[in-house]
Amino acid sequence: MIYVVRAVTENRRCCSRTFQMSRQELIGPQGLRNDGRRVNELRDMKCKTSVLSQADGSAYIEQGNTKCLAAVYGPREARMKAQILHNRANINVEISLAPFSMSERKKRSKSDKRILEIASAVKQTFEPIIMTELFARSQIDIYLQILQFDGGIVQICINAATLALIDAGIPMKDYVCACSAGCINDEPVLDLNNIEETNNVPELTVALLPKTDKITLLQMESRLHVDKFQPVMEMAAIGCKEIHTILDKAVRENVKDLLKKVSI
Amino acid sequence: MGNENNNLKSTITFEAETFRRIQPEEYLRKFIQQQVRPDGRSFNHFRKTTVNLSCISTADGSSMVRIGNTTVVCGIKAEVSEPNVNLPNEGYLVPNVDLSPICSPRFKPGPPSEQAQVLSENLNKLLKISKVIDLKTLCIEEGKAVWVLFADIVCVNYDGNVFDACVIALISALMNVRLPKAFYEDGLVKATEEKSITLSIIRTPYSASFAMFDGQYLLVDPNEMEESITKDGTTVVVDETGQLCNIWKIGSSCSPEQLKTCISKARDRYADITSIIEKAKQAI
Repeated sequence: MIYVVRAVTENRRCCSRTFQMSRQELIGPQGLRNDGRRVNELRDMKCKTSVLSQADGSAYIEQGNTKCLAAVYGPREARMKAQILHNRANINVEISLAPFSMSERKKRSKSDKRILEIASAVKQTFEPIIMTELFARSQIDIYLQILQFDGGIVQICINAATLALIDAGIPMKDYVCACSAGCINDEPVLDLNNIEETNNVPELTVALLPKTDKITLLQMESRLHVDKFQPVMEMAAIGCKEIHTILDKAVRENVKDLLKKVSI
Repeated sequence: MGNENNNLKSTITFEAETFRRIQPEEYLRKFIQQQVRPDGRSFNHFRKTTVNLSCISTADGSSMVRIGNTTVVCGIKAEVSEPNVNLPNEGYLVPNVDLSPICSPRFKPGPPSEQAQVLSENLNKLLKISKVIDLKTLCIEEGKAVWVLFADIVCVNYDGNVFDACVIALISALMNVRLPKAFYEDGLVKATEEKSITLSIIRTPYSASFAMFDGQYLLVDPNEMEESITKDGTTVVVDETGQLCNIWKIGSSCSPEQLKTCISKARDRYADITSIIEKAKQAI
């Protein structure tokens, strides 16, 4: 198949990337999605903690083709005096997207509004969960680096941050597990990928505290019939539970490795 | 009276970690005098280097390089653009290094630091001077359209000697680039979906970095701690024929003999890197 990469015209600004691609069927006749998953299936998930030597806590997560690296520094002295809170620690979240992470190269600056919004959502998710009152006048930095993007940026950021915070030994009330769900042809589907996201599938991102089943974050930015909300939400909650078992396994494996090293 | 004398003679004892933090230079010197470095290496020992190719599927060519704990990821994205008016048949190759705050507590969030910009510029110079690829091969239609290769290098973990890691990552990612076949047709650039065209790489320069301690001890492949204490670095870049491509010498002085040893060690290191990259190519 041949597609137009760029129209070279007199005007430099007038460039477009036109894909002569027909709108894809998101769910095939056998009930399989474009990446071969069933509607209630998560993408393959790999996670590992303590991957970086310089950070106090770090984690690497792959959810399908989305890859994210998280590093936690702190609790440490606040860099700016204005940020010092006298009764608790200040949490600082920064997300950066590698220029090669998307299908089209875009120099997304850190001040990109969409990324700032996600960072603030992550920050607000963790503020009540981290026991910040134990570290008054200090700062906890959570840095998230997306290396490859294929949908589900909010959920992967939250999951990676949870693992990195646990790895840094920062006291938290519970895990925070996030998962997205959508609705295609009136059917709830779990864990949307980029193709599904860009095809205007309503997407609901849920962050859950698995022990108490309480919801800390709920995000939906598209139209969804009110009757469909409940099943989609339940689907996302099931996904969060599944993610919790995967994250918990990664943490336990890391602790086992650590124990082995200590006992030698 | 005797008691007081005893008090004066008594020395303060520290934990090794405390000593390292308050007197880092003296700490390093104590090791160097024993002909060993704090991480257990000898002076001539490079850290374990690994290369992993095709690790980012959204990029047109990618590689991840680890030297000890130092980790960098390089992703190359190809785009179509109009050529420079003065060089109508040459494409562009734009390297950029990002030292984000994720990689070390030393780096603050914000615009690229001076060190990151220096690294990018050094890489750019290296590519230009040593002609790693022929930019004419990136031409699609003379005067109308050329390929622009954006080589973005993200440092993930900073533990010294990032320049060596960046050079290896950049060259190996260039080897990994697969471009679609592109052709120009009345104002439009069209490309095939399958990506099969590789770049022809003319020269493959690799670098070796050294730190000089106390003006006489030459430490190869310094880690973050050694780098920050010595403040004195030499980087030698050689190509496949053993010819020099670049030398950077910053900081205090060193003798011509020491430079000679640097160059011969860089040549030895070159052979190691080529075999590591060959292995990585077979592993894809």
